[in-house]
Amino acid sequence: MYLIKKNDILQIAKALSTEYQVYGPVIEPGSGQTFFEKVDDVSEINLSAPIPAAPPKHIVFPQADRILSYRYAGGNAPVEMKPDFKETPKALFGLRSCDLTGLQCLDRFFLGQEFVDEVYRSLRKKMFIVTNTCVAPFKYCFCVCTDSGPAAEEGYDLNLTDIGDNFLIEAGSAKGKALCEKLQLAKAADKDLAEKNRLVDKSITLFESFSTESKAWVSRVMNRITTGFAKEEVWEYVGDQCFECGACSFVCPSCSCFNVVDTATGDCSCDRLRTWDSCSYEGYSRMAGGHNPRKPVEDRRNKRFFCKLSYSQSKKYLRPGCVGCGRCDWVCPGDIGMPNVVKYIRRETTSRDQL
Amino acid sequence: MNNGTKIVTIPETATIEDIKDEIRDVKTFYMSLDNKELDKNFKIKSGQFIMCTIFGAGEFAVSLPPSPENDRFHLTVRKVGSVTNALHELKAGDKVGIRGPFGNGFPFEEIKGKNIIYVAGGIGLIPLRSSIVHVLQHKKEFGRVLVLHGARTPDDLMYKENLKEWQSFPGFETYITVDVGTPGWTGEVGFVHTLFDKANLPVENTVAFVCGPPVMFNTVIGELLKRGLRDDCIISTLERHMKCGVGKCQHCAIGRTLVCTDGPVYTFRQIKTLGEQI
Amino acid sequence: MKQQPGVCTFCGTGCGHFMQVTGTAVERVFPSQNHPVSKGRLCVRGWNIHELLNTAQTINRPLIKKNGQFADASYEEAIALLVDTLKALPPAAVGFLASPRSTNEEQFLLMKLARAVFKTNNVSLSSDAGHRGCLNILSRGTGMAGMTGSLEEICKAEFLLVAGSDITKQNPIVGSEIHLAAQAGAKIVTIDSRRTQIAKLSNSFLQITPGALKLAVAGIAKCVVQDGLIDSDFVRSSTKGFEEFSASLTQLSEQEITAKTGISIEEFKQVAKALSQAKTAMAFFSSGISGLDEDTISYIFNLFAMTGKIGKEGCGVNPITGINNLQGGYDMGCAPDLLSGFQSLSDQAAVKKFNAAWGVELNITPGRSVSELLAESPGQLKALVVIDHDEGLIRDAAALQKVDFIAYISTYKNKFMDYAHMVLPVARYIAEDGTFTNTDRRVQLSPKKLEPQHNVLPGWKLFSRIAEKAGAKWSYAGPAEVMDEIARLTPTYAKLSHKKLAATFGGVQWPCDEKNPDGTRRLDIKAAGSSISFAKVSGAFAGPAAGKDFPYLLMIGKAQDFWHQNNLMRKTFIPMREYNATLLDYPEGYVEIGPDTAKALQVRNQWQVKVVSPYGEMLLAVKISDDVKSHAAYVPYFARDIIAKALTGHPEILKQGEDATIPIRIEKV
Repeated sequence: MYLIKKNDILQIAKALSTEYQVYGPVIEPGSGQTFFEKVDDVSEINLSAPIPAAPPKHIVFPQADRILSYRYAGGNAPVEMKPDFKETPKALFGLRSCDLTGLQCLDRFFLGQEFVDEVYRSLRKKMFIVTNTCVAPFKYCFCVCTDSGPAAEEGYDLNLTDIGDNFLIEAGSAKGKALCEKLQLAKAADKDLAEKNRLVDKSITLFESFSTESKAWVSRVMNRITTGFAKEEVWEYVGDQCFECGACSFVCPSCSCFNVVDTATGDCSCDRLRTWDSCSYEGYSRMAGGHNPRKPVEDRRNKRFFCKLSYSQSKKYLRPGCVGCGRCDWVCPGDIGMPNVVKYIRRETTSRDQL
Repeated sequence: MNNGTKIVTIPETATIEDIKDEIRDVKTFYMSLDNKELDKNFKIKSGQFIMCTIFGAGEFAVSLPPSPENDRFHLTVRKVGSVTNALHELKAGDKVGIRGPFGNGFPFEEIKGKNIIYVAGGIGLIPLRSSIVHVLQHKKEFGRVLVLHGARTPDDLMYKENLKEWQSFPGFETYITVDVGTPGWTGEVGFVHTLFDKANLPVENTVAFVCGPPVMFNTVIGELLKRGLRDDCIISTLERHMKCGVGKCQHCAIGRTLVCTDGPVYTFRQIKTLGEQI
Repeated sequence: MKQQPGVCTFCGTGCGHFMQVTGTAVERVFPSQNHPVSKGRLCVRGWNIHELLNTAQTINRPLIKKNGQFADASYEEAIALLVDTLKALPPAAVGFLASPRSTNEEQFLLMKLARAVFKTNNVSLSSDAGHRGCLNILSRGTGMAGMTGSLEEICKAEFLLVAGSDITKQNPIVGSEIHLAAQAGAKIVTIDSRRTQIAKLSNSFLQITPGALKLAVAGIAKCVVQDGLIDSDFVRSSTKGFEEFSASLTQLSEQEITAKTGISIEEFKQVAKALSQAKTAMAFFSSGISGLDEDTISYIFNLFAMTGKIGKEGCGVNPITGINNLQGGYDMGCAPDLLSGFQSLSDQAAVKKFNAAWGVELNITPGRSVSELLAESPGQLKALVVIDHDEGLIRDAAALQKVDFIAYISTYKNKFMDYAHMVLPVARYIAEDGTFTNTDRRVQLSPKKLEPQHNVLPGWKLFSRIAEKAGAKWSYAGPAEVMDEIARLTPTYAKLSHKKLAATFGGVQWPCDEKNPDGTRRLDIKAAGSSISFAKVSGAFAGPAAGKDFPYLLMIGKAQDFWHQNNLMRKTFIPMREYNATLLDYPEGYVEIGPDTAKALQVRNQWQVKVVSPYGEMLLAVKISDDVKSHAAYVPYFARDIIAKALTGHPEILKQGEDATIPIRIEKV
């Protein structure tokens, strides 16, 4: 464990910028919106910025990504194929714990299971992760219900906590330790760690009422969904409110569904693109020929929450798919983000139990 | 780009050698991989599928009908969407891309010594063909073998030469029916499950393979269960919209399973517990 | 900071977003969390706008048709051809069809090109039957030719009326605001003949017989008067013309209302009561090609006027434009009888102002709209310049083929090019600064994000070059200067400038003038010291009625499965997949009927049926929907051509908006 004066914190980012492309939270001046951005000058980074509007998953899973380009003029002409796997060393500076958890879900999904996804692997390689403890939650947060915050516990190279005059820096890997040693950072004392723990405990008490009231309910809802005991009426109610925009999937740190299209670029050439897709769309499961196993919108809503919360899905992430970041709450036109769906299932369950 | 002998992310090119018209809208494309080393070592199991790229149009999942041992590598495809329509425009000498083979296969070890019933609706006979040919070549390892094939009209019956061959093969019991007869049709008329009584289906020590359009599924499986077949002895191959074939895009998810990696071959017992309707 | 702020340009909501751009492509799009209207939301179109902007299906160079085929041409050649052709014709024979998608600057310059350079007043948008009618009502009623309320105040409305609009599909984020208001306690009443999503989310849904929307609104109005629920203070102090309207309502009988709408008087009374008792209320309806007609809008306007729900906070009569800059198009004067800011050609002072600024003597005889000119036979239209049109116009295909010369100017390829003799490209909207005016009068700046591809000119520059070739001297340095001229000549835009808009997150709502230097959120009667005039109504509710021989009412123009003819959608991947799903299942179109009807006819999905009207017949596939009431049937927009051909004798009906109906019978085939 190490300490650094608060005003000097960006020196770590500066040191990283010699080897890595640095990304960090930046506030867009015109609108006040926080983005987790590539920065050319680390002084742009603002560690006290609120949780970024978009999860950093676009760094390893871009919204529209060319993975291959090919050219084929037909007949016995050769097929010229050029894979386009991008590899750049990246440093993520100031990642919130929920977003780190999301990244870990994506890691386990893309790099584990039956096959290793080479596209994701090349984007994910050579990454230095610096997390930032949330000493206070933001408006929509509920990571305390999903075991993903407010402080990261593993998976980082360095974890920062603002403990007043200083930042406490916990090294979580050999790489992280090496950097701290190289920068000759002062060693932290037990009291600094105790201060961090105190701040984290305090942070937990500051979460909005949903988090405190529904904490146990998130896991109970997981059980209900897995065992299929959430009634059809709930999904119809949720489905009526779904605007089929795809936003929930796009802002979710652990959602990774993608579409693959070949698009002509002229002169017998095509780009193969991987683009974000969402199971909320009707066309997502539609087969050529017209059969669509998930045509009604309530079936798609059911599927999303089953995918996020059921035990079987947890196996692929080694934890629930939801990281409690709250983005699906504010981005949804229909007001059916995760917290509300948990509320509806809870309401339906408790009213039934009362019979 | 390859995971052992599997072509995972970047397609390998293959050249179309021959094209054969099957039934209306269905063609068979005989092809071989351009990379001759790979072509020699390209091992497929019955029940698997590949992702086929039509350059300029896109990629689609297609099940593998060839029997692993003897058949020339080929794909039998119905044109039904934009990519398969583009495929049907191709000629011998044109190239396509291949990724795969993916998916689990039919469980041949587990079914040795048993009676086998094949129930194929329409082009559902395509994925089952590889298994039927394999069994035909190893008939001694199995008990009674029944092939029941139903199609909408006589023109829609698949693999007519194979059907003739199977009808006369000793130890194969082959039954054919159509939903709607046409003038000159002297065979059975009715949905495929109406053949079950006539065929005197075995029940003990029996495994049934079912493949066909979603509408026929429930009826056929219901009839088989009624006759006493166990749900883990009814095997099917499921189809879903697929984009990657390797368990990443998740379009093929049904409840707790991904058809491209856990399937496409499932027992009915597994299908029941997937967590979503098929 | 890689994220650049901008405005979505699909529908009239004008949601805010950020784009990350590299070189010539858009890498990412993300919603603007703090945008006053969209508040961090986008719809399926908005989330995937980068797919459209990255498409290779753009027009990359000028084209001139030679021997029936398009050949590449230089800008010099093409512009010379255009100018020479137009100059050789009398102004009355030339028409300009403006696009509701262009920026304000482009629309203004097109209008100037038509009037000042080619001396014709035949300039129009194709929405004269729709949004123009609505603006006429609002202008006569309030003095303001735009939405009276504000989208930002939906959360302040206690009562929300949605009249005949499938709003969650047309303008999803406006639909979302309405839904969220209801979640917070507001009451939504939807009147529609089809059970749309907003109908399912409403507290009260009046599922009326097709074609009876106007009568339903009149019915509510009648109940308001009868039950003594008018806001007498407001009517007395702030309105004119109530007596006449009230008298017209007494002509209506309750039996007629119930019989023709299929709704009981009791239900109308309840709506009347809820509307009156609410402190604040808003009315929403579609405005545009598929919107309501003037008479229906007049009834809605009057209903809200007499209950005191216009001109106050949380209140308003709110037309929702379906296309991003339809409001801007009228603001910029793309109409045969208007200059910008809804100033009439008969307004001598305004004309004098324009003459002085432009150094011309404008012809003050109103021109004709392009749809009128095309419908004329024999037609006097010899040359037509069309800006960026979705294929809807191709229903006038026969008329177009009689025009000697058609020039098409647009960014994306589309079937319209088949009718053109020459084509000029314009750059994508993100390749130049430009402003758009959304449905709540919000002028927003979309800053330039990348350079035009293939050396394609941005719109303002192309129009300047055409003007120069024709002998006029336009010396705009860029779109900002065009906006400065707009501000000088347009009272409602007087204090707007690109500089001001760049500095004002969320745009500025007009009027933005001396009195309202920061814009005007909504019509404020008190502050403006103005009054409301009740709209004149026809009192006529005649419409085709179902009868024994033709027991179903067929409604044409259900829009959402085929959003604006899908030209733009077809150039994307995800939106195309979503919007195409129905098209792929029913490539020849369908007739949508309810389950009762299907049972009575003994038909199932995708079976062919014969649809017979008093004037003709056609074959369509059946699509069964729970959302359709008995005795109603619907066909989507893309089947319009089939209908026009088969059911001839209905040109007037086909011109009408969503409320148009034809009595039919359906026969099993």
